[in-house]
Amino acid sequence: MKRRMGLVLAGTLAFSLALSGCGGSKGDGTGSESSAVQAGTGETTGASQADSGVDTAGFMMDVLNADIQTADVQKTSKDYTVPTNIYDRLVEIEVDDQGTSKIVPSLAEDWDISGDGLEYTFHLRQGVKFQNGNDFTAEDVVYTFNRLLTVQGGVNTELLDQVKGAAELIEGSADTLEGVEAVDDYTVKVTLKEPFAAFLSCLTAPGLSIYDSEATEAAGDQFGMDPAVTVGTGPFKFAGWTFNDQLVLEKNEDYWKGAPELPGVVIKIIPDTETQTMMFESGELDLIDLDFVTDAADRFLETYPDQIVQGPRVGITYFTMNFNIEPFQDVKVRQAVQMAIDRQAILDALYGGRGQVEHGIYPFGLIGFNDGKNKISYDPEGAKALLTEAGYGSGFTMELAADASASDTVTMALEIIKEQLAEAGIHAEIKNYDESTWLETRKAGELGSFMSTWTADFNDPENFIYTFFGNEEKTRIRSINYPDTAVMSRVSKARGIVNEDERLAEYQALEEKLIHEDAAWVPMYSRMHLWAVSKRVQNFKPVWSGVSDRMYYGVSLSE
Amino acid sequence: MKEDKNQVVGSENMNGGQARGKNHEDLDFLAQMGESDSLADKLKILARQNKLAAFSAVILILIFLAAVFAPVVAPCDHLAQSLTDRLQDPSAAHLLGTDELGRDVLSRIIFGARISLTIGLVPTLISMAIGTVLGLCAGFYGGKTDFIIMRLADVMLAFPSLLLAMVVMYTMGGGLINIFIALSLVNWAGTARIVRAQTLSLKEKEFVEAAKSIGVKKWTIMFRHILPNCLPSLIVLFTLNIPSAILSEASLSFLGIGAQPPSASWGLMAVRGKKYLFSEPWLSIAPSAAIMIVVMAFNFLGDGLRDVLDPYLKEQ
Amino acid sequence: MEKSVLRLFYQIVCLLWKNAEGRLFFVLNRVLKRIVISVPVLIGVVLAIFIMLRIVPGDPVTTMMGEHVNPAVIEKISREMGLDQPVIVQFFKYVFNALRGDFGTSYRLNRNVTQIILDAFPNTVRLSLMAAAVAWLIGIVAGVVAAVRQNKLLDRMFMGCALMGVSMPVFMTALILQYVFAFKLKWFPVSGYDSWKAMVLPAIALGWNSAGSIARMTRSNLVEIMQNDFIRTARAKGLMEKGVILKHALKNAMLPVVTMMALQFSSMLSGAVLTESVFGVPGIGRLAVNGIETRDMPLLQGTVVFTTILIIAGNLIADLLYNVLDPRIREGA
Repeated sequence: MKRRMGLVLAGTLAFSLALSGCGGSKGDGTGSESSAVQAGTGETTGASQADSGVDTAGFMMDVLNADIQTADVQKTSKDYTVPTNIYDRLVEIEVDDQGTSKIVPSLAEDWDISGDGLEYTFHLRQGVKFQNGNDFTAEDVVYTFNRLLTVQGGVNTELLDQVKGAAELIEGSADTLEGVEAVDDYTVKVTLKEPFAAFLSCLTAPGLSIYDSEATEAAGDQFGMDPAVTVGTGPFKFAGWTFNDQLVLEKNEDYWKGAPELPGVVIKIIPDTETQTMMFESGELDLIDLDFVTDAADRFLETYPDQIVQGPRVGITYFTMNFNIEPFQDVKVRQAVQMAIDRQAILDALYGGRGQVEHGIYPFGLIGFNDGKNKISYDPEGAKALLTEAGYGSGFTMELAADASASDTVTMALEIIKEQLAEAGIHAEIKNYDESTWLETRKAGELGSFMSTWTADFNDPENFIYTFFGNEEKTRIRSINYPDTAVMSRVSKARGIVNEDERLAEYQALEEKLIHEDAAWVPMYSRMHLWAVSKRVQNFKPVWSGVSDRMYYGVSLSE
Repeated sequence: MKEDKNQVVGSENMNGGQARGKNHEDLDFLAQMGESDSLADKLKILARQNKLAAFSAVILILIFLAAVFAPVVAPCDHLAQSLTDRLQDPSAAHLLGTDELGRDVLSRIIFGARISLTIGLVPTLISMAIGTVLGLCAGFYGGKTDFIIMRLADVMLAFPSLLLAMVVMYTMGGGLINIFIALSLVNWAGTARIVRAQTLSLKEKEFVEAAKSIGVKKWTIMFRHILPNCLPSLIVLFTLNIPSAILSEASLSFLGIGAQPPSASWGLMAVRGKKYLFSEPWLSIAPSAAIMIVVMAFNFLGDGLRDVLDPYLKEQ
Repeated sequence: MEKSVLRLFYQIVCLLWKNAEGRLFFVLNRVLKRIVISVPVLIGVVLAIFIMLRIVPGDPVTTMMGEHVNPAVIEKISREMGLDQPVIVQFFKYVFNALRGDFGTSYRLNRNVTQIILDAFPNTVRLSLMAAAVAWLIGIVAGVVAAVRQNKLLDRMFMGCALMGVSMPVFMTALILQYVFAFKLKWFPVSGYDSWKAMVLPAIALGWNSAGSIARMTRSNLVEIMQNDFIRTARAKGLMEKGVILKHALKNAMLPVVTMMALQFSSMLSGAVLTESVFGVPGIGRLAVNGIETRDMPLLQGTVVFTTILIIAGNLIADLLYNVLDPRIREGA
C-alpha cells in the first residue's frame, strides 16, 4: 500500500513538472519548434532564450510597452519599429547636426522631377537583394504601391492619394494604379494627379516601405505575422516573434550598405513601466524610451547623465475648441482660452520643461517652423477682459474630453488646464470617455475640447496643416469644425505650389491666419524625446521625427 | 463551495424556543427580541474575547467618520493644485507630501476614503440584496425557481470574477456607476447560494411551519422569519465582501478601466503614484497602506464576527 | 523544509487513496452527473459573454480600424467577419466552432485565437502551479501556527502575515517584491518567465494573495478538530502536543482544505491578469488585457470562455475531491 502511494506521488510530481516543462514551448504563429527551458536569465543582458532557433546571445536588448499588431507596415499606423529596420524606403530623410534635413537616396539612387511637378522618375539601385535572395526591381515598387491601396486592413492609403488613379483603385473602378509604371527593371515612373510638393518627403514615411512582390504575394495574410515570410531589403531580418514576450531581429549579413554592427536586437514586451525602469537599471535592457516613463526621466537625467540620448519629437501637442459648441463660435472666447492656459507651467510640471512652448501649427524641427512669428502669451487677466468683451464676463461651462486610454500625463494636463481655466472664470468639466466612444464622437465632429499630439509622418508642414484644416471633412473628424472654407481651399491648393519658397510662405501665412487671427486651436508645446542607453551602446540616434521608433543600423555594442 | 461550510450550516439553534407563540405578531416580537438580544450579547463577547476584531472595528469607525467629515478633517483642499509645490516630501505642512500636481496627499486620501468606501459598500449592498432575495426565493419555493436561479448563479460563479468585471467595464466604459454595476454583477451569486442553503434548513423548522399553519403570507415568512435568521451569516459575508470589492476596483484601476480622474479612489491613487515609486514612494505606498488597513480591518472583524456569530464555531 | 512539505503532500495523497478505495462507482457516478450539469452552465457563460460583447457601443470594425479607413472598407470587413448576420446566427456559429476547438480569428493579430491561447496557456499554468505551492506553504504554516496558538499573539501575527497578501492590491505586492528582491537585493531577475528563478517572485505575488483564505480555513478546521474526542484521547494518552497536531488533527483538517486547491484556481487566474502584466509573463491574463486594450472581441471572448472552462473543471474536481474525502457527504449523496 505504502509503496503504491509512493508511485502515485511520484507520478503526480512528474506530471506537474512536465506541465512546468511545457512552459518552454511556444509557437509564434509558424508553430516553430519548442526550445528547452534555459535557466539563468537576467545575469547579464542578451541571451535570454531563442524561440525561433536564433541564438540571441550578444544581442542588444530593447523594450516596448505593448506588443505590435503586425510587421506589415501598410496595415498599421503606429507599430513602425520592426518595419523601419527590416525594410527600406525609396528615399530616406537625413538630419544633420544643425537640424536641417534633406532627402537622401536609398533604394532609389537618383530621381528626376518634371518641370510641372507631376512626373517623378526614380532610378533604382541595382544589385540589392531581399532577405530571401530575390532581386529588388521596379516590379516590386509597382507591387508595393498597388498593395498599399488595396490590401485588406490597409490604413496608410492617404500616403499615395496624390498619385494618379489612386482613388479609382481604392473604389474598385480600376484594377491597377495608373500613376505607377515600371519603365524598365530599374526605372519607375510615378505620375501625380496634381502637383504635390511634399511627395518626396512623403516617400520617406515608414508606410511606404518596399516589399518583395513574390514573397509578399505568396505569404498572403501571414505577411507581417509570420517572421519567416516577412522579408524586406533592410539591415535586419525579422527572426522571431513570441506574442506578448519578445520580437527578435537578426542582422542581415548581405545588407547593401554593409552588414550592421549589431548581431541582432531582442525587443522585450513589458507593459509595466516601473518594471521597465528596474530592468534597465538592473542591466537587463540596453535601451529604454523615456517617453513611456516620463516620470522617471528626471531621475534618469540625474543618475545617468552620460547615458541619455535626445532629439526633438517633431510633433505638436494641441488643445481644441469645437467651433460648433457654444460659445466657441466667438473668436474672442477662443483667444481668451489661448491666453488662459499657462503652457510653460504644464510643460515644466509634466515634462520637466524638456521641450518648448509652441505658437503655431508646425512644431520645432519641422520644415516651415517659424520661430519669429507672433507669440501667444499667458495672460489670465487679458483672457478675462476678452471674455467680458464677448459677453461672458461671468464665465461659461465647457467640456474637457478625456480619452480613458490616453496616458496619465495627458489626463494630468487636462486637470491642470481645468484649474487654469477656472482662474479666468471658465468652468471646465472633465468628461471621461472610453477610447472607442471618444474616437467615434470625435470623428462625428461632436467632441468637446481635448488635448492630443500629432507627430510628423514626414518632414513637411503639409502633413500638419492639411490633416487638420485641409477641408471640411478633415476639420470635422478632428472635432474642430473650422468654418472658413476659403482658408481651407487655400490650404488644399498650397500642396500644389511648385516653387518651394512660395509654398512655405503660403503655409506660414496660413498658420498666422488660422492660429493668431482665428485662434482655431491652442498650440501647446513640442517635446524633446529622451532615451537612456546602457554603457555599452554606441552611436544610438533617435529617428528624426522622434516617433517611438528606433533605427538600429549604425548602433554598436562595446565589449 | 465548501469554504462556505461554516456559514452554510448556519444558525440552526439560534431560535430554538421561539415558535411557541400562537399569533404571528407575537412571533415577530419574540423573534426580534431574541435576535437583538443574542446579537448584542455576542458582540459583547466579541469585544471582550477578540481584541483584534474590536480594534479593527474602532479603526473602521474612525475611517468612516473621517470620510463623512472629510472637509472638516482634511488639512487642505484635496483638489487645490499648486504646480510649484509638486512632489514634495512629507513635511509639517503636508504630512504625506504632495502629489504630481502639488495636491496634499493626506487630504486626497481622506477624500479618497469616500470613494473607496463607497466602492466597497454600494456594490456589496446591491449584490447582497440581489443575492439574498434570489437565495430566499430559491430556497423557499424550490422546484423550477430554485433550478433556474441556481443555474444562473452557477454561471456567474463560473466566471473568473476580475475578467467578468473587466468585460463589463469594457462594455460600458469606466466610471463609478459602471464599477458598481460590474462588481454587483460579479458578487451576488455567492450570497444567493449561502442564503438558499440556510433557507432550506430553516423552512423545515417548527416556527416556520407554525407560521405557515396560521396562514402567514409567504413573503412575510421569508422576510420576517427566515431572513432575520440568516442575518449573522450575512453580516459576516458583508464584512468579507467589502474588502474584495475595494481590491477589485484597485485592479480595474491598474488596467485603466476603474475609477476615472479627477475622482480619486485609493486604487487609482496607488496606480498613478507607482510611477514615482523610486523617488517619491509615499505617493503609492500611502494609498496602498490605506487599502491594506481597511481590508485587513474588515477581514479581522469578519473573522471575529464569524467566531461569535456562527454557532458551528462558537461551541469551542 | 522541502522534506516536510513532501511528507505532507504524501500523506494527503495517501489519504485520498484510502478514501477513494471501494468508492469508485460512486465517484464515477458523480463525475458524470457533474459533467452533465456543467454543459448548460458553460453554454450560459458563452451566451452571457457573447451578448455582453455585442452590446459594446460603437461598431467594432470602426474602432478597430481607427480613423483612416473609408466606409466601403469597413462594410467589407464587417461582412468578412460575419458581423452583418443576426446575433443569434453568430452565436450558434460561434458555439459550433468552439465545440470543435475553434474560437475564431483575432481581429488584430489575424491569427487563430485557439492557437494564441494554447501558446500562452503553459506559462499561466506554470505560474499558477508555483503560486499554488506558495499559497499552500504560507497558508498552511500560518494556519497551523495560528490554530495552535489560538487567540494569542502568534495567532494574530501569522494570520496577519497571511492576510497581508490579500490585503494589498496585487500590483503593489508585485512591485514591492520586485523592488526589494530583484532590484535592490538582486536575488532574482526583474522580469521573465523562462527559468524557475524568474518565476519565484511572480509566484509569491500571486500565491500570497490566496494564502489568506487557506490559512483562515486551516486554522478554523484545526481548531474545530482539536476539540474532537479522538484528539482529546490522544492527548490523554500522553502523546506530545506537536505530534498530536501533525499526526491526527492536521490529517483531518486538511481534507476540506485540499478541495480548496481547485477552487483557488479561479482567483489565481484572475490575479494572474495583473501579475503577468507586472512581470512580463506572456500568459492568458495578458491576452485578456490585450483583448480589452485593442478591442479585439474574438480574443477577449476566447480568453474568457477558455478560462471559464478551466474554472468549471476546477470546481468539478473540487467537488469530486470533497465527495471522495468527506465521509459525511457519502451517505447523503
